[in-house]
Amino acid sequence: MPDSTFLDSTELVLNMGPQHPSTHGVLRIILKLDGEKVLGTECIIGYLHRGVEKIGENRTYAQFNPYVDRMDYVAAISNGLGYCLAVEKLLNVEAPPRAQCIRVILTELNRIASHLLWLGTHALDIGAITPVFYCLREREEALKIFEKYCGARLTTHAFRIGGLLYETYDGFEQEIRDFCAMFVPKVDEYEELLTNNRIWIGRLKDVGILSADECKEYGVTGPVLRAAGVKWDLRKAQPYSGYEKYDFEIPIRQNGDTYDRYIVRMEEMRQSVRIMQQAVEAIPEGPIMGKVGKVIKPPVGEAYVSIEAPKGELGYYVVSDGSTQPYRLRVRPPSFVNLQALDRMIRGGLVADVVAVVGTLDIVLGEIDR
Amino acid sequence: MRGLLNRIFLVDLFQGLWVTFRNQHPKYIYTEQYPAERPKVAERYRGAPRLNINPDNGETLCISCNLCALACPEALIVVTSERNEATKRKDLTTFTYDTSRCMFCGLCEDACPVDALELTQDFEMATYTREGQIWDRQMLEEGPKPTQYKC
Amino acid sequence: MADDQKPGGSEAAPPPGSEAAGQPAKPAPPKPAAAPPKPAAPPPPKPPAIMLATPWESDLARELKEAFGEAIGETSTYLGQNFIVAKPGSAIPILEYLKLESDFDYLVDVTAVDWPKRAERFDVVYILYSFSRNERVRVKIFIPDGYQPETAVGVHLTADWLEREVYDMFGIEFAGHPNMRRILMPDEWQGFPLRKDYGILQQDERWVQENLGIESGQ
Ligand code: SF4
Ligand code: SF4
Repeated sequence: MPDSTFLDSTELVLNMGPQHPSTHGVLRIILKLDGEKVLGTECIIGYLHRGVEKIGENRTYAQFNPYVDRMDYVAAISNGLGYCLAVEKLLNVEAPPRAQCIRVILTELNRIASHLLWLGTHALDIGAITPVFYCLREREEALKIFEKYCGARLTTHAFRIGGLLYETYDGFEQEIRDFCAMFVPKVDEYEELLTNNRIWIGRLKDVGILSADECKEYGVTGPVLRAAGVKWDLRKAQPYSGYEKYDFEIPIRQNGDTYDRYIVRMEEMRQSVRIMQQAVEAIPEGPIMGKVGKVIKPPVGEAYVSIEAPKGELGYYVVSDGSTQPYRLRVRPPSFVNLQALDRMIRGGLVADVVAVVGTLDIVLGEIDR
Repeated sequence: MRGLLNRIFLVDLFQGLWVTFRNQHPKYIYTEQYPAERPKVAERYRGAPRLNINPDNGETLCISCNLCALACPEALIVVTSERNEATKRKDLTTFTYDTSRCMFCGLCEDACPVDALELTQDFEMATYTREGQIWDRQMLEEGPKPTQYKC
Repeated sequence: MADDQKPGGSEAAPPPGSEAAGQPAKPAPPKPAAAPPKPAAPPPPKPPAIMLATPWESDLARELKEAFGEAIGETSTYLGQNFIVAKPGSAIPILEYLKLESDFDYLVDVTAVDWPKRAERFDVVYILYSFSRNERVRVKIFIPDGYQPETAVGVHLTADWLEREVYDMFGIEFAGHPNMRRILMPDEWQGFPLRKDYGILQQDERWVQENLGIESGQ
């Protein structure tokens, strides 16, 4: 019999989720604890699995378009853009310049909306209640623009393969300009609330460090990678939809901890505003729909197209057998791959940091489980 | 040194409090008084479906072409028709639309060649039963009649 | 799970879909009288077309051919995207070579495609990216049902979950994988959903009946 004292510390297995408010959905994390210290984790996912890839194989190309909005539902427009670009690549067509420009504006607006929701909920997880109200208030303005543009706020179905269905509404440009002008001071305001706050710094600094090499090893992309000092953004590296025309910076930080990821995302919102401001002044005239037939029937072939979604690299690998339905449609979700690094990030940390790290990864379970 | 002073005088705290104080201004308050005040949704809003009727003669605009049913990813529209020998057209007999499975993507609306099917600005579609979500032709033509709450 | 009947279901009409892709505004010339429903004939089966890929000429392709010789079946490019078809056993050495010698240090995705009529039933596709070269390449292997390709976890840690997902969806087991379990579906799930012969409705109904004791109502 092993000699154990009354106050021996034994390992404890703790279930976090799936119904835990700070897992942002239905993520279950099994934690192995030694007191406060995390010895290891395991993620159980799949509670939200709807078989999106299988649905894709049973729908026509155009019919599948609304389903992609339901993966990363806080950044539905980015999903739609990636899917449309992938099918356009297979068809070997390009959206007309006007459509591309409007796509860029809406996608950047969606990036802001997504980051705002992240900031609000992340701050809420850490214990700062105020930012969530302000963030959702500003996000509401963005959602209103979506609603006016395409008739839905969240699952927008805004883009069509080959271009756009909806022309801009009257006053669209002015509303974007107003939003940009209104929004930049708001970001400063969030920073005023959080950046120097001692509790915020205490909870985030040096928590969940992921170095650049580890990021590459785990395939982690997006703000997490940039916070580790890798200056890589698909919008710059392999520009799509006319991103090469706009002048913007890729914000990076060096430490790769949770605080840096926060700074990177804040700066990204400012850069998104910059892109929108440039794009809205230069919306070209012209058609908004490219030359695609009524029935979309790509030739036999395959293509992998990826875009920089708010969470990282979002890829679509589409295999066509020449019929009206995709033969195979694979989605490479950024959250799924990023979540894999969770274990590395919190091993050896404290239980309370788990919440911070899950929040900083900015996962959306709809996208992980598909 | 500066950092130390900042810490002693709780600068970060007061900075934050000043932000919250500024946001007390009524201009920044954003609350929708929903049941009392109905929000105005956008013109292009994709809400409750409606089957339009011709205002002149009260006949339906639908020509029973079934395109909407084929366009729908969820295959939830069922159109039946019978051939009218007199006019050599198809007359619409029934039209069912299962709103419980609809994702309001608007593909059916785009597919309709005569603008008969339309997604309108109504958004209050809750029912007490599942069956109530399946709308028939009459319901589609009249539109939902939600209870209005006033206070 | 949504019902995955082909839209249009029993009418057997080929779903035209894509009406949406048309015009910005709905032009609505009222259709002249009596457009009869299109005769519900599926399009005649065409001879299986092939992907019109062109050979991929580059230093990297030559280098790989030199290093691996016979093991590399094809180096092609389609729509500006390069891919390599390799012998099943040599996928991992190729990934390793690409990572160490050519800087393809980021494994973007591992996935599979099911071709039930082919002798080698599955494609396993590795998508790689190199940060320094800003270049993507796909490595494909064709494997028969039951073949266990080697795991890529030793080369790229990110392959862990991606391979588990391939196993979950296609039933391809990766030899040497540390944790070859289902990831998205419940552990006791029968069948592999993304195989082409997977009956969606039957599987779904059975699971719902066994586990929840109700009719799935689909
Ligand atoms: S809105 Fe979309 S899901 Fe709903 S009936 Fe129309 S096509 Fe079908
Ligand atoms: S597409 Fe329009 S006209 Fe045709 S059946 Fe549907 S509602 Fe009627």
